[in-house]
Amino acid sequence: MPRTNAFIVRASDQVPKHPLLKRFPVPRNFGVTPGSRIERGRTWAAPAGAVRTKAFEIYRYDPDGDDNPRLDTFEVDLDACGPMVLDVLIWIKNNVDPTLTFRRSCREGICGSCAMNIDGTNWLACTRYIEETGAPAQIYPLANMRIIKDLVPDLTHVLAQYEMIEPWLQTTTPAPDRERLQAPEDRAKLDGYYECILCFCCTSGCPSHWWNGDRFLGPAALLQAWRWLTDSRDEAAGERLDLLEDPFRLYRCHTILNCTRTCPKGLNPGKAIAEIKKMIVDRQS
Amino acid sequence: MTRYRIQTPLGRAVGLGSAKSGFGHWWTERITAIALVLPAIWFAASLIAHTGTDYETFIHWLAKPINTVMMVLLLVTLFWHAALGLQVVIEDYVHSVAKIWALIVMRFACFALAAVGIIATLRIALGA
Ligand code: SF4
Ligand code: SF4
Ligand code: FES
Repeated sequence: MPRTNAFIVRASDQVPKHPLLKRFPVPRNFGVTPGSRIERGRTWAAPAGAVRTKAFEIYRYDPDGDDNPRLDTFEVDLDACGPMVLDVLIWIKNNVDPTLTFRRSCREGICGSCAMNIDGTNWLACTRYIEETGAPAQIYPLANMRIIKDLVPDLTHVLAQYEMIEPWLQTTTPAPDRERLQAPEDRAKLDGYYECILCFCCTSGCPSHWWNGDRFLGPAALLQAWRWLTDSRDEAAGERLDLLEDPFRLYRCHTILNCTRTCPKGLNPGKAIAEIKKMIVDRQS
Repeated sequence: MTRYRIQTPLGRAVGLGSAKSGFGHWWTERITAIALVLPAIWFAASLIAHTGTDYETFIHWLAKPINTVMMVLLLVTLFWHAALGLQVVIEDYVHSVAKIWALIVMRFACFALAAVGIIATLRIALGA
């Protein structure tokens, strides 16, 4: 991984020169309402005969029950499961506790379902190696989302925000009889943006979205907005910018770049947002 | 505190719609930041240069037109920039009716401080 001295974060594989603390140094559950405090859960021992084991602390919560969220510890038999964190979750569900709830589909980093907080940063469980995780590894759901169960967050609001930016090609010119042409240079402008899988690792890690998520669109929706703004075939740039130019929708981004640091696809939402701001400058001056 | 309201997810996300502004604030914040560079360096350098001087000499120095002008420019850009920046901080973290009051008080304080500074500088310059 490239180690960088640069202040600007350009991609999530950049290792910070001064690694920050794994978590902000306040006591756990500090300022959290009693009903939401995370308690110690039970420990599930490794199966008899397991040689290589590793402990995984996993967040469990069932909003339908009366219990607080808890952190269960699972001793996982590494020789019995695959190399990825998602393999651990599947192994636990199959062999230890079938009630463990999480989303997954593709297991190859393309559907965006298995985004969760692994060792303090948001990532896809299916593309995070077990050997890269700490001891014990800690797995929480994406932060700042209502929890449906265990590791499954409610994405309704962030998906509505995505819908709001109208993520489809808009033209006034009648559709041509053949495919819409695009110069290779113009096609290249979509690189780094079209790859977004809408896992919402970035939006869940954005402090501005924590404080003002009801109005701030968040990095995922804004990166997608830029993907359409920069598409040479789209004819709705003006309306798109009108929709975005708002003190909260766009300008709540303060270039903290947590989004770029965490994107498991190595994209740069912070840059996309800066490009939108630059485009608005171009329109005004 | 959560207020429950029956509303579609899209309705909630759209909220009151786009303000169609925000560029002016963001751009002015950047422009005032750049405009501050020169007066700020001038101010720091002048303070260092005057560490040993007495009150009379300093007042005499400030009354020179170039220094008066720089001082007034510094005060204007500084408090303009501060008001824009503090507005962002308040909008980020205050989420109640207190927000409007905090914005009003903050603006007023920035204007007042700038006015006090400018009037004091002018009084010195004009020998009042
Ligand atoms: S920009 Fe990256 S982190 Fe954000 S939703 Fe897209 S793929 Fe996920
Ligand atoms: S750069 Fe903007 S969108 Fe990204 S984490 Fe920071 S505030 Fe959020
Ligand atoms: S399972 Fe599809 S991204 Fe991980």
